[in-house]
Amino acid sequence: MKRLILALVLATLTVAARAELLIKVTEGRVDAVPIAIVPFDGDNEAPEQVSAIVEADLHRSGQFKPLPAKNMLSRPHTKDAIIYRDFRVLGQEYLVIGHTKPRDDGRYEVTYGLYDVGRQRELFSESYSPTKAQLRDVAHAISDRIYEELTGIPGAFSTKILYVTHNRGAKLPYQLQYADADGHRVKTILSSAEPIMSPSWSPDGSKIAYVSFENNGKPNIYVHDLASGQRSVVSRERGINGAPSWSPDGQRLVITLSKDGNPELYMVNVNGGGLTRLTDNYGIDTEARWMPDGEHVVFTSSRSGGPQIYMLNINDRSARRVSFEGNYNARPDVTPDGRYLVYVHRRNGSFNVGVQDLQRGTFDIVTQTNMDESPSVAPNGSMVIYGTQRRGTGVLEAVSIDGRVKVELPSKEGEVREPAWSPFL
Amino acid sequence: MRSFVNPLFAVILAGVLAACSSTPTEQDTSATDTSGMDSQTGTTQPVQRPESTRPDTSSVPLTADNFHNHPSNYDGTTDTRVIYFAFDSNTVPAAAFETLRAHATYLKNNANAKLRLEGHADERGTREYNVALSERRAQAVQKFLRVQGVSSSQLEVVSYGEEKPAAFGHSEMDWAKNRRVELNYVAGRP
Repeated sequence: MKRLILALVLATLTVAARAELLIKVTEGRVDAVPIAIVPFDGDNEAPEQVSAIVEADLHRSGQFKPLPAKNMLSRPHTKDAIIYRDFRVLGQEYLVIGHTKPRDDGRYEVTYGLYDVGRQRELFSESYSPTKAQLRDVAHAISDRIYEELTGIPGAFSTKILYVTHNRGAKLPYQLQYADADGHRVKTILSSAEPIMSPSWSPDGSKIAYVSFENNGKPNIYVHDLASGQRSVVSRERGINGAPSWSPDGQRLVITLSKDGNPELYMVNVNGGGLTRLTDNYGIDTEARWMPDGEHVVFTSSRSGGPQIYMLNINDRSARRVSFEGNYNARPDVTPDGRYLVYVHRRNGSFNVGVQDLQRGTFDIVTQTNMDESPSVAPNGSMVIYGTQRRGTGVLEAVSIDGRVKVELPSKEGEVREPAWSPFL
Repeated sequence: MRSFVNPLFAVILAGVLAACSSTPTEQDTSATDTSGMDSQTGTTQPVQRPESTRPDTSSVPLTADNFHNHPSNYDGTTDTRVIYFAFDSNTVPAAAFETLRAHATYLKNNANAKLRLEGHADERGTREYNVALSERRAQAVQKFLRVQGVSSSQLEVVSYGEEKPAAFGHSEMDWAKNRRVELNYVAGRP
């Protein structure tokens, strides 16, 4: 009887854990690859359900359509127990099986394999021995490995996101948060009575830069070491200190300052020295992002009237306009290969994320919500995370570069905004 | 090369000139109240709002479109601490001139007083661009006060973009309430 009650409690906990993992894929690809991820042996007894995390990761990519466990005809845990026919008749192309077992030393053994259902053969298998705290990391590493094996593109499931939350009425309403790319394991990096803005990652992911108004309500730019929590002020000029973006070599930031009366782009060393002005005109110049070549920055400028996207050569300081659709284009980000720009585009009073292909010269709107902002590209270039509004509050969503996949990320209480996707870590 | 005339300053001047020759209603309001204020300038008595001479503005409907320029938002004294702006505009509204002149007079008479001009934007558009736009609003108010003879050392500009809204809804009226410059005395508050 005692055993039964315990089993029931465990089952309830399992349901709760699964519910938390549910990420709403609002728009998936019709050609999403069917994959059966059999719940790992021992997952229900482990503190994290590794196979459920892998399933949620692959589902969230929009490129895979995991088979619900309740529809499975058999649930093998070992290679010898696989009946390929059971998965073939359900139209599955790939199969993942494995186990999570506690070891005597307090660690876990996670072993899994990926199988090709049509060819009836193992593609690979591997084993990890994580601590309890590393179980989620192992799950995301498994997702990365499977994703790369089947798509040829490195997975970005082991990456992190930064974002800003605003809880009105709280004593310290503005918070900078750090979380896994799936929204789990949230850590608050900074809480403040004054606004926090524009988080930006160093290229190695060890440091971040952001704007905080904590110093007497004025905007200062900080560099913050994630491991030690140590911070330093990079810029506290008169007027605007905003929009930091890290150079690909990690040595410099491009920032926005209005100390001379008008918002202009400047370059500054990470230690705060070597301030150099990059732009000089009557328009607003801001929201710069370093291009992967390290020689250009893409930014928002109102020099032609309304905000448009420009490309600045940081060596000769020449700038050319790159956006031509509509009268409001702002806050660009760029894919790691430098081919696509993503930025906010206004059309009929609605703000959406647009993707410009610099190679082919095409421009496409990839979101349909109304107040989309702060698009940030995943380090593998597959998805764009952005802030938008649902039910009157700020939430995070993600869309694939081609617009075919859309995902709503689970949101907590309060406003969530300004996501920044980390580099590969 | 930068030209001699700051374009923003030119806009303000144009706004001041436009106000002097604006619609009869605004002209009347301005003339009446200014004369009422002039009679008190220079005395040690606190500036009294001349209630009886103010026209009844309750009949002017308050809409999101005219919110920034609605007489009910400005009492012509230093009691008014918020100046509102039209959509996509950094032009100081004519209805706020008298109020700003009252602040200018106070600042000139109280050298220890320091005023922080806090610029804000509505939530539409991108965040750092909105910080830049709202700085221009605060700078427009700063220039208005400087033209009135206020010392630059008494004025400070901070811009918050859309980060500190006054109204938290998402309607046109909420946005009208958020496009604003707050006048925050950090020393020598009236």
